[in-house]
Amino acid sequence: MAARLRMQISSLRQLFICLIALLIMPFESTRADDSATSSPIAIVVHKDTAVENLSLADLRSIFLADQQFWQNRKRIILLVRAPQSDERDFVLNKIYEMSEMQFRKYWIAKMFRAEVPRGPKIVFSTDMTLELVIAIPGSISFIRAHDVTDDVKLVRVDGKLPSEAGYPLQ
Amino acid sequence: MPEYNKQGPGGLAVVAKSRYYSGASYPFGVLTATQEAMKLSALTQIVVLLCTCMGLASTSFAQSSESTNLTDLSAPEFRLMGFGDISYISQDGSDKDGFVIGQAVMHLSASLGESLSVFGEFSATGKDSEYSFEVERLLVKYDFSDTYKLSAGRYHTPIGYWNSAFHHGTWLQTTISRPEMLKFGSKLVPIHFVGVLLEGSVPISDFGLTYKAGLGNGRHANIARSGDAGDINGDKAWMVQLNSRPRNMFGLDFGLGFYSDEVSPELSPDVKEYTVSAYAAWTKESPEIIFEYLHSKHELTTDSSVSGDVDAWYAQFAYRLKGKYEQWKPYARLEYQDIDDADPLLGAEGLNYEAGILGVRWDFNPYAALKAEYRNEEFGSSGRENNFRLQISFVLAKL
Repeated sequence: MAARLRMQISSLRQLFICLIALLIMPFESTRADDSATSSPIAIVVHKDTAVENLSLADLRSIFLADQQFWQNRKRIILLVRAPQSDERDFVLNKIYEMSEMQFRKYWIAKMFRAEVPRGPKIVFSTDMTLELVIAIPGSISFIRAHDVTDDVKLVRVDGKLPSEAGYPLQ
Repeated sequence: MPEYNKQGPGGLAVVAKSRYYSGASYPFGVLTATQEAMKLSALTQIVVLLCTCMGLASTSFAQSSESTNLTDLSAPEFRLMGFGDISYISQDGSDKDGFVIGQAVMHLSASLGESLSVFGEFSATGKDSEYSFEVERLLVKYDFSDTYKLSAGRYHTPIGYWNSAFHHGTWLQTTISRPEMLKFGSKLVPIHFVGVLLEGSVPISDFGLTYKAGLGNGRHANIARSGDAGDINGDKAWMVQLNSRPRNMFGLDFGLGFYSDEVSPELSPDVKEYTVSAYAAWTKESPEIIFEYLHSKHELTTDSSVSGDVDAWYAQFAYRLKGKYEQWKPYARLEYQDIDDADPLLGAEGLNYEAGILGVRWDFNPYAALKAEYRNEEFGSSGRENNFRLQISFVLAKL
């Protein structure tokens, strides 16, 4: 009898935790989004990539896969955030100058024309972006400037860092 | 260093110690919790299950969008895409109005390491009493750098814009059908080409120059086809194309091309063929402008005084509406082609053509579009005719 009572209490406790978690989740993500959207977008590459600065035109060329190799002939691996992220929306608007629909069509056409062997690799969080940029030589991606760590290389855009006035990806 | 491996039904899985899935929606830990929850009361199990479903739903794309090891680029990676369309065609004075199954197209791309890739495009086209299957493209390509990419196989001939830009993907093109001069089975342009192709970018300033240079079999004795099983006359076709996408005018694409071949038609004498093509396209969709012009000269190999010219062009204008009407894209196209009666290759084919086309495209789904089109056209000198077409086209792809 006592064991059964203990099990019911345990079950109720689990249920309570789940409900609290469900209630908290949206607030947590909203709070995180608020702080994230105020930070500029930083372009990060694998540490060994021999690039310090890219013009916005260079960046567009890389993100459009018109340029697929770095100077040292290492293939560029583009990592792009999955839909529904502020970072992706920003990059589509600022670098691609495309809507979500146009972006999807662009890459389908690019692959269909055999111009690229593979599409961009899709990443689902800032942590995933960082870990893959660290792990994949030749990779390039974008994250909020305040999320940049020492494990990746921050690239100047048009000669400017995200913290500097006139940075194009503000 | 994180670990990656293949796990689970969706393909990609990440070893649980990874921090990829931030927040409560990370699914793999929840799965373990679900197993624990099996011991709990029925009500608790339902709630936990709901939590799990929410987590899985938010990351289902993650599991299905990539099916390979993420960091090992030498591992083969395959991708399948499909295109298809179904049309309804109503034509002046025709008693054959009805539905038409368009081409069903499968596209396969495989990355066999960092620089080697294989592309295949296969189609099934409905005929009167059967389907015809075709290997539209099959090529193996090695990328040395951005400047040098060498491939061999069967291509869509890099003449002009449309033939390379849209291939068999009806969904990709704004309109229901291709311009008449570039339609599948066209005799005006060698649509396909079997051989080798060198292509790449020319790193000069901000012109965004790219080039293509090819050598191949040229046309078959049936001049609408390429010499898939070998060159029929030993005289190779060759082509060059220069394109520019200026970096400071994002969206602009223009180019010039030249194609040369000796054609050996089944029932007539050999003919030298020279084709010059030019195009300009503004590829942003608001507006979208495509203009393409083609001039061919055909002359008998035995008597160059017997010759004829072909002129063909089309101009297409479309505009994707903005804001809440973004799914809508009205369009118009004018087409014209004129072939000299004395042309030794095409003069007797009756290929003169004029058309005016008006239509609208509705992208009601990210992967499908409905198009409605009115066409007023004249083939040869048979008088103008009107027809109306309705088409649903789709792509099977994941991005």
